[in-house]
Amino acid sequence: MQSPDMQERYRHLKKIGPSLLQCINCGDCRDATDYSSDPQRWGVCVVKDHTPGFEPYFGRGKMQIIRSVIQNKLTFSKEMADVIFQCPTCNSCSEVCAYDIDNALIYEALRAELIDAGYGLETHIPMNQAVIDLLNPYQRDNAQKQNWIEELDFHVKDAAEEKADILYFVGCTAALTPEIKSVAIQTANVLHQLNIDFSLFGKQEICCGSVSKRTGNLKAFDTVATKNYGLFKRSGIQKIITSCAGCYRTLKVDYKDYLEDLNIEVLHTIEFLDKYLKEKGIELKNLGIKTTYHDPCHTGRNGGSPPLYEQPRRLLSQISNFVEMKTIKENAKCCGAGGGVKKGFPELALEIAKTRVKEAEETGAEYLVSMCPFCFRNLDDGIESSNSQIKMVDLIELISLALLR
Amino acid sequence: MSTIKQLYKEIEAIIGPDYITDKDFMKAAYSRNVDPAFPDRWADLIVRPSTTEEVSQIIKTANKYKIPIVPRGGGADLVGGSVSEGGILIDLTRMNHILEINDQDFYCVVECGITWGALVSNLHEKGLTTGVLGPGSGFSATIGGGLSNSTAGFGSTKYGVVPDICLGVEVVLPDPQGTIIRTGAAANKYAEPFCRYGVAPDFTGLFMGDVGTMGIKTKAYLKLFPETPFKAQKYFVLHKNDYNKVSELMYRLRKEVRDGLHDVLVVPLITAQLLASMVENKPKKRIRLKGPIFSILLEAVDKDILKKYVERVDDIMKDDARVFEWQEIDLDATLSKDWRFNLKYAYNYFNKYISIAPPKISCTTCHKVPINKIQQVAEISSNFDIINKDGFPKGSISLFATVIFLLPNGNCVIVGGFNADNVDEQREASMKMWHKKLRMQVKYGGVHYWLGEAISQSIVEADAYTPDFIRFFKNVKKSVDPNFLLSPKKFHMYSFDDDMADHIINEEEE
Repeated sequence: MQSPDMQERYRHLKKIGPSLLQCINCGDCRDATDYSSDPQRWGVCVVKDHTPGFEPYFGRGKMQIIRSVIQNKLTFSKEMADVIFQCPTCNSCSEVCAYDIDNALIYEALRAELIDAGYGLETHIPMNQAVIDLLNPYQRDNAQKQNWIEELDFHVKDAAEEKADILYFVGCTAALTPEIKSVAIQTANVLHQLNIDFSLFGKQEICCGSVSKRTGNLKAFDTVATKNYGLFKRSGIQKIITSCAGCYRTLKVDYKDYLEDLNIEVLHTIEFLDKYLKEKGIELKNLGIKTTYHDPCHTGRNGGSPPLYEQPRRLLSQISNFVEMKTIKENAKCCGAGGGVKKGFPELALEIAKTRVKEAEETGAEYLVSMCPFCFRNLDDGIESSNSQIKMVDLIELISLALLR
Repeated sequence: MSTIKQLYKEIEAIIGPDYITDKDFMKAAYSRNVDPAFPDRWADLIVRPSTTEEVSQIIKTANKYKIPIVPRGGGADLVGGSVSEGGILIDLTRMNHILEINDQDFYCVVECGITWGALVSNLHEKGLTTGVLGPGSGFSATIGGGLSNSTAGFGSTKYGVVPDICLGVEVVLPDPQGTIIRTGAAANKYAEPFCRYGVAPDFTGLFMGDVGTMGIKTKAYLKLFPETPFKAQKYFVLHKNDYNKVSELMYRLRKEVRDGLHDVLVVPLITAQLLASMVENKPKKRIRLKGPIFSILLEAVDKDILKKYVERVDDIMKDDARVFEWQEIDLDATLSKDWRFNLKYAYNYFNKYISIAPPKISCTTCHKVPINKIQQVAEISSNFDIINKDGFPKGSISLFATVIFLLPNGNCVIVGGFNADNVDEQREASMKMWHKKLRMQVKYGGVHYWLGEAISQSIVEADAYTPDFIRFFKNVKKSVDPNFLLSPKKFHMYSFDDDMADHIINEEEE
């Protein structure tokens, strides 16, 4: 029952609709371990084990807080916000929910309410302001997004000026983080090697707004989403591929309403290549290495339908001796970086990453592979921090090596 | 400094600053379980201890200031069990470790805050099981909660209720000393916890179904069984909506199939019809069901033995029922030939049958009756609903049973109740009618578990306990909890001086 007061005060939560109060408090989102599910599920919430673990650290507590707030029994506070923002919004809780509640969507709305109430996370403010002012969350001159392109030894079309079959949307993390720029470079190399007609926005590429959406800053998100809509419309693009899981989810799921009338198809690079290589009958070389794979939440649980579980596995099985981790696909443990946790609570993100790295080590693999630059960063930090011998690599880098041409 | 602030400081010194809170949003998050008929209740403090010794120290401190304590496991009950109005709420889910799996002597030692799902999954890796898999809320319910509520669950047809697999417990008593005792074989400090009886009187039973009133269970010693390799699932629908026939078939199954029965579960016709109306993928041709649905899971150590069990079941059911497939009403359901055991199946009915239409209030209870009384209690229950139809909240659906489970020997569990809209106006009416219905069940001889507040109080209201029983109960309680701090309000017990008989309700006067 929404009171008139709620209609006015809780506009972000109100948009969720009836599912906002659908939670029966069963608590399966805390730890529903199930050996018999396929794939097996060994626990749910990665946050509760690395924090004091009280109810608000996992799904049920958050849902009960929302109920109390909209029933005017509880008011927002800074302490509450500090806990609500310690969630990577991996949506593992939604995966086990008997009533299919989309928890992450609700948490984002709750965060938006907290921001409106003046309890946004301090560390997120400059990040989201940079999204508005500089068009990237890393607080850098967006022109630096051109830097990695200069390292290419071939010409790439400028999407703002030249038509191409495909737009490669690089994403801020690969474009602006020196340690991860190889993801962008190798993606471009692979596309070039395969003679695929593609273009880039380069320094004009605008952040997709993923971090803003996840952290509840809808002003920042709407700003860049609107700008991107204009950019996409002007350039007349029909197909976007992206090597960033966060951009993939945002463009495919969160931009759905924006992009629908533009009829733009959004694919992850790996999804695109899996299909392309198969259609063209192009074989990949087996690199003779042992790999395991981390499912990014943004290409799985949060990536819309269908989730991208099989494409990376098909490719990895071709190019390596591929072994699975204990928790995979819809039940994969999150790396801990998402939802603004890496920025707001770096130590928590690191602890969660170390747990995931340990799980990867248990497979005996030499390489931990993913297809998300943000997972890459956090898991790589986890590897370094735990002195692990396993090596972090993005799948596109292995494909680049394995491509027989 | 207020008492609560002082208490906070002292408990903080015991368990560290991270595991104690008095923040409002934390209290709100712990203010209810799956029990929307109850008002939200906020504790003064919430703590998350990690060891038995910490629990003991917390209890000593609570005794020092005479502050009430309520233990909480998975927080999955719907009868007002583990929520505290004021006082200290002890969240035991940090104590979630498996301490020993003894695959030679078939027992395990676990901390009581581990969930059933986690324990059963870890045991499966070693080819072992607890037999009864805990309550239908087993993905979140804890071992401690299952013991405190004497719960039945998946596997109960064969292995009994949860206390039947318990070999003893480690308990912190709520006395000023925070006394720690061990029961069963473990009462002998030289013995392994491999069996229950002997050494001393069976004090284990004191803590089974106590709804957290006698002590805080921190460790449990549980029986293990090797997993049974061969299983088969069969469904039948009766030709008639006849509960005498249900009793007769349950009797024959128990008598003739015995250990082959892992679970026998009966879905009443009305529940099946409701479920059929709610499925997403309905068949074009609507099947007309005429009676309850029997779900029978069989297990055997040998394929040929399993085959014999299946043949025997087919023979028992052939005259009164036909083979049924859930696909007749739900195209997405799995055919019984493709059926494979999974925990979701075991733990699904909690959500499926208890909260059929969330977010409505579910005033649901589980109570046991002898199998030959099913028809009788169905009639009493239906009459009650008719007579009291104006007392139910508007739009409420009342069901005698959403599911009936066969237990060992000749008894079964009836899970049933009614729902209402989750709004304040209906909450009070729901609670009143719920208590009334519970008293009716108590008076026809129903034996409830998952007592929490609602049911334990209703048993008292129905005048079920004799004065001698009440005196004994209080004396025992006084010996373990002299300051009356642990889980107050259960059984309408508010102090040792309070006369529980004051709460007896004379239905005719109502």
